[in-house]
Amino acid sequence: MKTPSEDHDLIRFLDGEMSNTERASFEARMAADSMLNSEVNMMQRMSADLRTHLPAEMPVPYADFFNSQIQVRIAQEVPVTLPAARSLWFDWLRIPTLATAAAAVAIGGFMIVQNQNQPAGNSIVHSIYVPNPSVQARSFHSDEAQAMVLILDGVEAMPSDRQMVSFHIQRTETDQEMATTTLFDVSGQVVAVVAKDSRNQPRLLSATPRG
Amino acid sequence: MKLAFILICLTAAVGFLKAQQPVVSPVESLSAVKPATDGKVWGALVYATNDIKGLSGSTEVAPADFADIPRRLGKVFPYQRFEILGQHLQDVFREYESWVVPTKDLFLKVDSKGPADGGGMNLHLQFWRDQQVLVKTDAVLKEGSPLFIGGPKWREGRLLFVLVLQNSR
Repeated sequence: MKTPSEDHDLIRFLDGEMSNTERASFEARMAADSMLNSEVNMMQRMSADLRTHLPAEMPVPYADFFNSQIQVRIAQEVPVTLPAARSLWFDWLRIPTLATAAAAVAIGGFMIVQNQNQPAGNSIVHSIYVPNPSVQARSFHSDEAQAMVLILDGVEAMPSDRQMVSFHIQRTETDQEMATTTLFDVSGQVVAVVAKDSRNQPRLLSATPRG
Repeated sequence: MKLAFILICLTAAVGFLKAQQPVVSPVESLSAVKPATDGKVWGALVYATNDIKGLSGSTEVAPADFADIPRRLGKVFPYQRFEILGQHLQDVFREYESWVVPTKDLFLKVDSKGPADGGGMNLHLQFWRDQQVLVKTDAVLKEGSPLFIGGPKWREGRLLFVLVLQNSR
């Protein structure tokens, strides 16, 4: 029987949550383990089958509901499988003064945020899930900025020489059958199309990069 | 064991859904129908830096309704310059995912979970960098109360994602 961490790897692979290094390592494991390879293929087929046959009126609370529920279950197993340092985010739940301040920290895992004392007009972060164990997420409300803030620390920096391909999107059209979204700029020109690959990861095809 | 249980559930769900699949007339394809929406959001990717010489030269300007966003970012992030690299005004679809894509490099997936008590919208958000999701969060977005996401560092500063619920009036 696989361990919870192996299940976690499989789901992170299917959800596109692995870094390039992790993905290459997992694909190498798949190549060496026919059972794992079969399991991944079966999950991908079933996931695609579900998406194909899921009727629009199906009362799913939101599109990522199933993944979120699986992640919640996995998070419940995290304290057993993670090193002691990673259980810090559970400690935050046990500190009432910090919890009532609606501040929270998640380190490579799932975190539910307490928001009892938030004024009605404030935006709220209810939960945070960070798939990368090296990334720490923290959220808080800034009264001065009148904004909810979610900070990701430990994210790999963008290469300095990378040129951002920026858009000014004014309108979109979606095609549910093709599962694509076409993005139009202010002059009505198509600038990009968002599609999904077989693993449900976004593929962004830009037509007129502005650099 | 857990995975096996999930697989069994998924198998049962696929079989049930196939059996229940309605016959759709060719002239009533879903793509011909404008999806219902729950609201509209404005998203932007902002480069925060103290290095004036390092600015990208972007000429993007926030809409008048959100003109104070750079000033408000300055209350949270310790930078002097906030340059909007790209922006996106997006309907939030009720039953389908929406994408807020101010740049090709960093973008947001938005799933509506319906209106929130007391106004605003319940949202499930995923912050993507290329093909890698950086964070998933369930949030309530209220008018006048933006969400600031402090993302990866870039050059001498940091990339920030801003999401604002557009005034419904």
